[in-house]
Amino acid sequence: MDHKKNKKPVKISTVLIYVFFLFMMVVYLAPLVWIGMTSLKTRAEIYKSPFGWPEAFQWENYAVAWKAGKLGIAMLNSLFVCVITLLLTMIIGSMAAFAIARMRWKLSGAAMIYILVGMMIPVHCVLIPLFVRFAKLGLTNNLWGLILPYLTFSLPTCVFIMAGFFRSIPNDLLESACMDGCTIYQVFFRICFPLARTGLFVTGLMTFVGNWNELLLALVFMSDDMKKTLPVALTKFVTPYQTNYDKMFPAIMIAIIPTIIVYSLFSNQIVDGLTAGAVKS
Amino acid sequence: MDKLLRNKKAIFVFVAPALILFTAVLFIPIGTSFYYALCDYDKVTRSYSFIGFGNFINLAKDKDMFIALKNSLFFLVFSCVSQLIMGLLLAALLTNIKVGRNLFKNVIYLPCVLSSAALGLLWAFLFHAKVGINNLLANFGIQGPAWLYSTSGFITLPMWVIAFVSLWQYVGQSMMLYMAQISGINKTLYEASYIDGATKMQAFRYITLPLVKPMIGTAMSLNAIGSLKFFDLIYSMLGDKTENLKMDVLATFLYRTGFSSKGGNHYGKASAIGVILVALCLLATAIINKLFKTENYEM
Repeated sequence: MDHKKNKKPVKISTVLIYVFFLFMMVVYLAPLVWIGMTSLKTRAEIYKSPFGWPEAFQWENYAVAWKAGKLGIAMLNSLFVCVITLLLTMIIGSMAAFAIARMRWKLSGAAMIYILVGMMIPVHCVLIPLFVRFAKLGLTNNLWGLILPYLTFSLPTCVFIMAGFFRSIPNDLLESACMDGCTIYQVFFRICFPLARTGLFVTGLMTFVGNWNELLLALVFMSDDMKKTLPVALTKFVTPYQTNYDKMFPAIMIAIIPTIIVYSLFSNQIVDGLTAGAVKS
Repeated sequence: MDKLLRNKKAIFVFVAPALILFTAVLFIPIGTSFYYALCDYDKVTRSYSFIGFGNFINLAKDKDMFIALKNSLFFLVFSCVSQLIMGLLLAALLTNIKVGRNLFKNVIYLPCVLSSAALGLLWAFLFHAKVGINNLLANFGIQGPAWLYSTSGFITLPMWVIAFVSLWQYVGQSMMLYMAQISGINKTLYEASYIDGATKMQAFRYITLPLVKPMIGTAMSLNAIGSLKFFDLIYSMLGDKTENLKMDVLATFLYRTGFSSKGGNHYGKASAIGVILVALCLLATAIINKLFKTENYEM
């Protein structure tokens, strides 16, 4: 009897919560659906009925935007920069994490602090010295000039998360590897590195997403159209008084669709990983 | 095994690449940045002459700097408060439901991983003076305001618009952090309180809130630093118009001073802005940590 009485008000509040979240879904998904719809309209139609269903799907908008915004080359540049950064971050970061977490040396604590301080420093602070230095070294308008700072700014999170994974590897495992006569490099590359797959996956996704979206550094370092990354190519469409919306919306779609696909495949891992990384900083 | 783990050469091989990168790309440039902040950069001869605190004194008198600082502090306060309220609300509600929790969580988090540059273009269109939302309002005979071009008021309307857009985009991050913390709270605490006759609201007030408090500090520091660094969204929504519209924040002001074609390459002044930015980040983090410093409860 008592039990039933208690249950009823809970149900009403649950209904209210669901109504609230359905509303939130609209707030979050409607703009994205709407970009998709608008990207298939003609320019006149966008002005006439910005919120209506497209009269006829203008698929050629995508081809035009792809060409006008030089999105093909931008996409390739972004991919190149992000993939190289991803690989280097995972290798360099987990090597450092392993040495800090498992190997025995006096300064391991200090090294960790040194790296973690990097998490708190905004990229703005080093923008000018880096630009001046890189201009001298010929690293501006050079994709490697982006890879170096991206790598450096991705390392702290990677080291932090990977150190956690390496610490959780049981001692017995390392010990038995030693008995079998493994060198320290084999212990790392054959045993610990593969065991920390989950951590690698999470840090990899985070690094990739973060660098894929980075704008400021890329904007400053890349002035040559052939070297621009995707976010920089998009800013071409920014002018408050511009009118070629029929190119802008397909460009937005092209820029966000890869991320949306990756996110929907791995959303749980990404969300957990990003949270884990953020909590620790 | 101990010998193996004390292998100095291996330690060096493992750690050196990371430390060298850190020193070369982060710590040396930071030092340089502090030095540049005290210098006047000559564009023609490309040389730096030491002028002490001249850049900072000029910035203190600079009207644009005042606007940028005002707007940045507005974003800071707005994002700390709004993200706290919305993030905590979403997290508390989400932990109360089972069906669809993952879906809701993932959808709300989605904009966090999307490019601000792309989303900014979308919102700039929606808040366009004629098309977009104002078109919708016009159907009801309402004349919408010039969302992104109004320059009146201490905090201008565009600032509010962009602040809400950034809340929309990034609230998922705070929500996730609070959810992680709330789901770590021992369920028996709630059961005990319900047996004692507590309502859900009371349970939230007296159990959830105090136990979430340490996370508030973390999430808020992240928001504070994020909002001080704020660049992508405002740049993609307003482009080079930030100056004319008096809508600079510190990051756009730094970019404009250092790199834009009009602003010219005032590297010294821009470095000084960078130094102020870092100082503000540290200050905000310190204040927030002090405010929310709590002993960790046993959970």
